[in-house]
Amino acid sequence: MWSDRDAFPVTPGGDCTVFIQGRDANGRVDSRILEERIQEAVRQGCTKIEVQAYGQHGIGGRLWFTGGSHVKVDVFGHPGQRVGAMGSPFTTVEVHAPASDDVGWLNAGATIIVHGDATNGVANAMAQGRIYIAGDIGARGMTMTKHNPRFDPPELWVLGGTGDSFAEFMAGGIAVVCGIDSRSKEGYILGHRPCVGMVGGKIFFRGHQKEISDADAVFVRITDEEWDWLRSGLSRFLKAIGKEYLEEELTHDRSAWELVVARRPSEKRTRDRIPMGRFRKEVWDRELGPGGLIGDISKVDSSRIGVIETGELRRFVPHWENESAMSPCQAACPTGIPVQKRWSLVRMGEIEKAVDLALAYTPFPATVCGYLCPNLCMEACTRRAKGMTPVDTSVLGRASIEAKDPSPSPPSGRKVAIIGGGPAGLSVAWQLWMKGHDPVVFDRDARLGGKIRDVIPFSRIPKEVFDRELRRVEEKITRVRLEDPFSEQLFEDIVNRHDFTVIAVGANDPRTLSVKGARRTIAALDFLRAAKRNKMKVKGNVVVIGAGNVGCDVATEAYRLGASSVTLVDIQKPASFGKEREAAEALGAKFVWPVRTERITDDGVVLSDGSTIPADMVVVSIGDTPNLEFLPDTIDTESGMIRVDERYRTSRDRVYAIGDCVRQGLITDAIGAGRIVASDIDARLKGEDATFDRMPSVDVARIRLEYYEPQALTEHDDLASCAQTCASCGLCRDCGMCEAVCPTQAISRRELQGGLFEYAADPGKCIGCGFCAGACPCGIWEMRENDPLV
Amino acid sequence: MEPMGTLRPNLLSPRDLPWRIVWDRDRCTLCGRCTAACPTRSIELGVHRKRSLEVKAGLAVKPSNVYAVYHGIDQVAHASRVCVGCGLCSQVCPNAAIFPVRSEEIDKVRFHVSEGGEPRRRGGRRNDPNSLLDRIKFIRISMLTDPALDAGRHEFELRTLLGRIPPPEDMLEEASRPDGWVPPVREVYPLMVGGMSFGALSPTMWEGLQMGVAYLNEELGMPVRICTGEGGCPPRLLRSRFLKYVILQIASGYFGWDEILHALPDMKEDPCAIEIKYGQGAKPGDGGLLMWYKVNSLIGAIRGVPVGVSLPSPPTHQTKYSIEESVAKMIQSMYMAWGFRVPVYPKISGTTTALAVLNNIARNPYAAALAIDGEDGGTGAAYNVSMNHMGHPIASNVRDAYLNLVRIGKQNEIPIVAAGGVGKNGNLAANAAALIMLGASAVQVGKYIMQACGGCVGSETDRCNICNIGLCPKGITSQDPRIYRRLDPEDVAQRLVDVFVSFDVELKKIMAPLGRSTSLPIGMSDALGIDDEGAAKRLGIQYVV
Repeated sequence: MWSDRDAFPVTPGGDCTVFIQGRDANGRVDSRILEERIQEAVRQGCTKIEVQAYGQHGIGGRLWFTGGSHVKVDVFGHPGQRVGAMGSPFTTVEVHAPASDDVGWLNAGATIIVHGDATNGVANAMAQGRIYIAGDIGARGMTMTKHNPRFDPPELWVLGGTGDSFAEFMAGGIAVVCGIDSRSKEGYILGHRPCVGMVGGKIFFRGHQKEISDADAVFVRITDEEWDWLRSGLSRFLKAIGKEYLEEELTHDRSAWELVVARRPSEKRTRDRIPMGRFRKEVWDRELGPGGLIGDISKVDSSRIGVIETGELRRFVPHWENESAMSPCQAACPTGIPVQKRWSLVRMGEIEKAVDLALAYTPFPATVCGYLCPNLCMEACTRRAKGMTPVDTSVLGRASIEAKDPSPSPPSGRKVAIIGGGPAGLSVAWQLWMKGHDPVVFDRDARLGGKIRDVIPFSRIPKEVFDRELRRVEEKITRVRLEDPFSEQLFEDIVNRHDFTVIAVGANDPRTLSVKGARRTIAALDFLRAAKRNKMKVKGNVVVIGAGNVGCDVATEAYRLGASSVTLVDIQKPASFGKEREAAEALGAKFVWPVRTERITDDGVVLSDGSTIPADMVVVSIGDTPNLEFLPDTIDTESGMIRVDERYRTSRDRVYAIGDCVRQGLITDAIGAGRIVASDIDARLKGEDATFDRMPSVDVARIRLEYYEPQALTEHDDLASCAQTCASCGLCRDCGMCEAVCPTQAISRRELQGGLFEYAADPGKCIGCGFCAGACPCGIWEMRENDPLV
Repeated sequence: MEPMGTLRPNLLSPRDLPWRIVWDRDRCTLCGRCTAACPTRSIELGVHRKRSLEVKAGLAVKPSNVYAVYHGIDQVAHASRVCVGCGLCSQVCPNAAIFPVRSEEIDKVRFHVSEGGEPRRRGGRRNDPNSLLDRIKFIRISMLTDPALDAGRHEFELRTLLGRIPPPEDMLEEASRPDGWVPPVREVYPLMVGGMSFGALSPTMWEGLQMGVAYLNEELGMPVRICTGEGGCPPRLLRSRFLKYVILQIASGYFGWDEILHALPDMKEDPCAIEIKYGQGAKPGDGGLLMWYKVNSLIGAIRGVPVGVSLPSPPTHQTKYSIEESVAKMIQSMYMAWGFRVPVYPKISGTTTALAVLNNIARNPYAAALAIDGEDGGTGAAYNVSMNHMGHPIASNVRDAYLNLVRIGKQNEIPIVAAGGVGKNGNLAANAAALIMLGASAVQVGKYIMQACGGCVGSETDRCNICNIGLCPKGITSQDPRIYRRLDPEDVAQRLVDVFVSFDVELKKIMAPLGRSTSLPIGMSDALGIDDEGAAKRLGIQYVV
């Protein structure tokens, strides 16, 4: 293949020995050509090759084509880099001089002997074979070496010491560094930073080495087996480099040898750094003082806690806030009756107590709650807000007819005059009586009761019900019948003779229409008063001007007394609602609006559009005004009504005014006003200042109606079923839901004296999850932030 | 009483919220841990009525309704208790029954956070996950052209200089004069922990970071420095040797500075440096907003203020009326406090006026450095609008400043410290290296540290971000022991060590292939490229596609 093959300066020696000259007539033989000549000699069967080297690359390497014979290459002169590179197991390369870089690079089996020093990179990437160096080596020796399990591990034997970065990334094989006559710096027989990235293999060395890569390698004890291996290997090494005389020096003291091995991967993870906990204790806290950075200014424990904690470490604490907020029904009731409390008593089987409770608030629980009141409590009922039928309070109201009298406080001997014996006046009287005072009611009529007795039809309030309740009040109070027309003088007398005076004269002067023919009409008040005594004759068509609730009462009564038709007209959308309106409509009353009455003729009511509604009787029902002719100038009025403050005090000291003479309203408004006035008077009589701070209303969103069956509510007609469906807003119904739902069993029920009870959360168990608050049907449990710790 | 189903503008359905709570009824054991843990009380136990019709086949029996009641975990839809997606519920759930998921479309809460006329305030960072720094690549891969460096084996000089370095001739002249002065210079690690105040951070977080820094210095020999932020410095730290690892910050509120002055006679070491904060990248033109409920006795003691008062810092220093005065007056005062032995440098938020500040600093021989904090920085509390819409990106600010210094031949005299969004998407070393190669001598990092060392779950897409209200689920920014004790300072310290050691490896992995040098490649912008022509032109780096 080479045209000038014959020109090879091959000098045959004995036994097929060739001598290959690294320099010829043309000067230095190129590395490529020298390689070709060596390979050719091997191919020709030469087993001993001598090379006179002049810096050629890779001498003695790659001699794989020997046909199985062993080839010895002796190198004289100055070999270049990578002597014996990619060496084969059939090769021994002996360099009779120092060697350059990368001796035995990628050696795969050759034995390479260097009689002198070798520079950098000895044995780099060696996988098999042995390298014997009779001096020192340069940097990065034994780096990237491997151990293929199919073969024996590669070996590097160094008589002296190594340069820096020895055994970097060493992955297998054995290095032996004897430390004889080394020029290494004291303490660095393996140079600086040896064993960085070492993952396999072992290094025996003799001499002092101050550092190895602690992360990667570790010193271990030499076993007997290893020592035997080392001794026999040393013997072979010393023989190879012709220094058998050193054997005694190298082997007489086993303790002079050290062994370094690669750390296993599992050992690398636990590198020998001081743990942070120890650093904190021994360095950090020692310098700063106990408690560390802020140990001097904070005494708060700062040890680790979990996210879920109990006791003072909870973020939120549940509070059992029973009866600390007002239910919507009670809040809506002008009289202020705690409806939910009454249902609660019914649920507890205390029906009598539930019934009696009403008398603490009103003298007419059956009359008003049971019949006449539009039941604002039911309007406000939480159930209605969520689309369910409200609890029917009127059932409870009607049952109150049987209520037992409360016991009044001991008599105080103080007299309070009440002018007017209607619901407002009787409410004040009732409350003052309960508080031990002496109320005196002044009234013109034969009996007390005002409009309830005189005006409101029996169809709306059965006679026996009201009579019974009225009697209950009348028995307790002093009554003065006013015969004469009520005058300013009389009023002043009354005021002067009593500790306090309450004006409750109502509104008894009907408003009149100022249209032509108004004299043909009758006022609703007069109509109803006469109708109730069956003194009113009615027939034919009746027209009621003014379609409010009083108008509806007129219509109902008119039908009862024989009217063939009743038409209610109004100039605006009729204000009537509820039971009165329903009763009138049920009887056939027609509502016509918006219309304006032009005049009234014998034929009927002529409207502004010229049409006529035929009428045999025209009743005007456009409201009543109070008759205040007796009022002295010292009491201010406003638009025909008495002006009062929020406690119903007038501009005159010790004089109050309530009811329709203050503003037209419901009976329950009048009764509620009476309670407020009685409380204020009572407080003043005792020299106190009455407070009227109402409890906050319960947050309806916290009431859980999901616990109730919506369908069961359509026909709750008895006390028991009403009581069961009441959501008991703000009042614990003692259902045990919180106990059941608490995930840590922190909540328990406790009996208190007097049949009372309470629920409480054990701080030692409670995690502040708020389940009790979320699950409570009545909105009792409230989560609040725990008290600040700092 | 309102009718059922009433609508009001701010009544939202759970679908309108930024995060929805997914709850699995079958998996839930009703243990109460999620509702006990939720920082914002966004979930609660709910009661539900389940109706089913009972119909007998054949219709011989009249159909009836059957009602059953069950309990479950409900999401609160009110804007004041909106779920922030922190995920603490799922972390404490023993059964993987609950977790938050982000709503698929833009939430509607953002239109109602103005209730009462008070704009939204929050903690966190700019809501923008994009990062120009992430797009900068290191395109000069030196395999054969320069000495090939090996990140694992070569020793790199990962050090930078913090302090004014006058030209050698000036320095020699100064040094030879009997009353001459050579500016103090610190050789420090190029990645610093940026200013996060004691107050913004919880005591456990703050101590953990300081402990980690001490460990890095004393156990690993890494000269890492940490800035206090504006909130004073615990007296013990001031009187300890660890003070030398600390950069004390003074800002417009001057909180805690009387305590620092009181400690002067007891100081064993000088602090590393003094940082004068003029602005913060996350909320330019706005000061600190520490609210009263975070100011407990501990914060009060460190800041030197009474307990339970809000501590807003003014947007600017109150007694300075011009740039010359601002810079010169403050720098002089702070130098004097430590006998001219401690470098003093100003920190500004990224701004188009940065060069004017730099110009002034270049002419002030005392100014030790200039720190610029870009718009992507974080904060414990700021107005949403400041965070999202105000500020200047850090990259072009740093680049302009560096090139300006090059133009006047002072690039080796005045170090530029860059901050703001470094590692915002987790690429800490790459972002830091990019800024260094654009011209920064050092980089400050805060948010990344909170995420890596405290487990902060905040994000640039508005997750959590409730640092300002003291309810940090991880205890990083709370002053309530019930919350901050969840965090162990040792863990924080260990994580800080891990972060810096790993950063060290990554930075070397970037530096080694660049070749050339084992020193920090400050301003080595020829190795940078970006796939955006405009950005490349603006930054003076290569446009590569």
